[in-house]
Amino acid sequence: MDVWNQLLQGFVTAGTPVNLLWAFVGCALGTAVGVLPGIGPATAVAMLLPITAKVDATASMIFFAGIYYGAMYGGSTTSILLNTPGETSSMVTAMEGNKMAKNGRAGAALATSAIGSFFAGTVATIVVTLFAPVVAEYAVKLGPPEYFCLMLLAFTTVSAVLGQSTVRGLTSLFVGLAVGLVGMDQITGQARYTGNMPELLDGIEIVLVAVGLFAVAEALHFVLFEGKVVESKNRMSRVTMTKSDWKRSVPAWIRGTAIGAPFGCIPAGGTEIPTFLSYATEKKLAKGADLAEFGSKGAIEGVAGPEAANNATVTTAMIPLLTLGIPVSNTTAVLLGAFQNYGIQPGPQLFTSSSALVWALIASLYIGNVMLLVLNLPMVGLWVKLLKVPKAQLYAGILIFATVGTYGMRQSAFDLVLLYAVGVLGLVMRRFSFPTAPVVVGMILGPLAEAQLRNAMSIGEGSAMVFLQRPVSVALLVVVVSVLVLPRLMKRFTRKAVTTLT
Amino acid sequence: MSQALRQTQQTAVGVGVVLLALGLGVGATMIPSEAGYAGVGPNFLPWVVSVALLICGGLLVYEARTGGFRDLEGQDEEKPYWAGFVWMSTGLLLNAALITTIGFILSCTLCFVVAARGLRNAQGMTDSGMQSWISDTVVGLLIAAPVYWMFTQFLAISLPGLTQSGWI
Repeated sequence: MDVWNQLLQGFVTAGTPVNLLWAFVGCALGTAVGVLPGIGPATAVAMLLPITAKVDATASMIFFAGIYYGAMYGGSTTSILLNTPGETSSMVTAMEGNKMAKNGRAGAALATSAIGSFFAGTVATIVVTLFAPVVAEYAVKLGPPEYFCLMLLAFTTVSAVLGQSTVRGLTSLFVGLAVGLVGMDQITGQARYTGNMPELLDGIEIVLVAVGLFAVAEALHFVLFEGKVVESKNRMSRVTMTKSDWKRSVPAWIRGTAIGAPFGCIPAGGTEIPTFLSYATEKKLAKGADLAEFGSKGAIEGVAGPEAANNATVTTAMIPLLTLGIPVSNTTAVLLGAFQNYGIQPGPQLFTSSSALVWALIASLYIGNVMLLVLNLPMVGLWVKLLKVPKAQLYAGILIFATVGTYGMRQSAFDLVLLYAVGVLGLVMRRFSFPTAPVVVGMILGPLAEAQLRNAMSIGEGSAMVFLQRPVSVALLVVVVSVLVLPRLMKRFTRKAVTTLT
Repeated sequence: MSQALRQTQQTAVGVGVVLLALGLGVGATMIPSEAGYAGVGPNFLPWVVSVALLICGGLLVYEARTGGFRDLEGQDEEKPYWAGFVWMSTGLLLNAALITTIGFILSCTLCFVVAARGLRNAQGMTDSGMQSWISDTVVGLLIAAPVYWMFTQFLAISLPGLTQSGWI
């Protein structure tokens, strides 16, 4: 029972008063960030990356992880109470949750989403505990060719599959890869695209790009286009669930968790697919009066299922991040950046080289979930008050935090000008529906993928055949191709079917 | 937004991507190709990125000229409020220009006040007299100062101050 011993050791590390405090502050901050519009977990973690210079690795990873899943709890509060969902992941929750709230059942919706999140988060953490070490053990056997193919898969799914348009997704990805190119080449030390500026030798800061793309762009978009948008706010009600609410929620939580957990494990990212799947499942399984509530009065299963799926996915996404070093979302990409700031490269060796850190992090997931349940059930009224913050001061305040994050990292006023430029770029991207996640993932994962590619090619003595001579890498390449081709073929077939029918 | 204007804008975005690709290509020619055993050197990925972006840019221009970007979500029709954009941009750039001379707290407060002005105007709050300027200044200070103290005093991350004391 090696796993349990190590987990116990993790609890000992994570349970020190200082680390508990970091976890608590992270969870509270994460909830606040999730509730507030205009700022998400990726932005918050990015803005706080400068603390990696002073705070020790374990404490700051516990802190960042708290922000990461705290935001998932907070996001559902906003999507239930306002008609504008904060995060893409809470879009589905918003559909039924909002209707429930409009009919005076805001409290029940908030309760089922908080308890469902807790249930799914805890089950998913158990999955992480049991499977991450196994995956790591297996992943040690993977060589550069396999790693490169895995990263290729991550690139493909994040840019071409999620989002509306493959062309725009790929454009974002390659822009991100281009940003990642700036600086010193990892293998030969050759400077690339630095324009002889010594500041650029270390590359472009993740903080700058992430904060610019998310926070500054968001503020600029608001001032340009959203000033006149009127939000309707739903009334709060007592946060309790009736007996029938429980009876309908519990199976939905279990199904949502079962749907969400596998999605986080594969480097195929995004919570959109599992949450929509869970929603569709719940709607299909509902009968009679319960079914009639979907889309009219708001069905509680439609909140419980997707919320559980969301949290399960988000938690198990830790497995590819920790064991393979492959992030599949904005926030996990920024978390990878945080590891890199400590000179730690997540991957299979992490479980042997930094085992204390990893197990403390996993233990903190259990602790954090309990904290978040307390923060979000009895204290939900407190967070709801955050929705009253005037928009003008909220967005102007976000700019101050953006400045801290960017300036604190490198103490350069020039970075603030760059921050503005990235913000304008993000504004243009948002205006024309270019996804931002591929930029961040491309920028962070790009240099790693390049190193793996060149190492793989060295193994093959300069021949790309090396990717076709190893069974695992061939299998992965087949997956990449099918992920690219299948959705398109299916679209064409359905279109054909529709035209022949009509 | 009229169809013609949208088409022009989308074409401009596509052309921007093409120009970026060309710039990266020019840069790639300056990177040596010492490939070693791998057969691919430090200039390999730059070429891949440059060519891929060229293709993407070309496709974007093509889409823009033939009916607009595909699968675009229902674009909001509301008019942009450029005055607000100018206010916020001014705030951000002033902050970049002044942060090392007048210190983090004052510079960020200034940025806050100027940006908040743009946001208030965007929301159509025209009755903002002296009072809102004062309240924005106070709120700005109340955010910037504690943040500054937290970072400089507790986390020992250096942020520029007006004095060397670490408090202002």
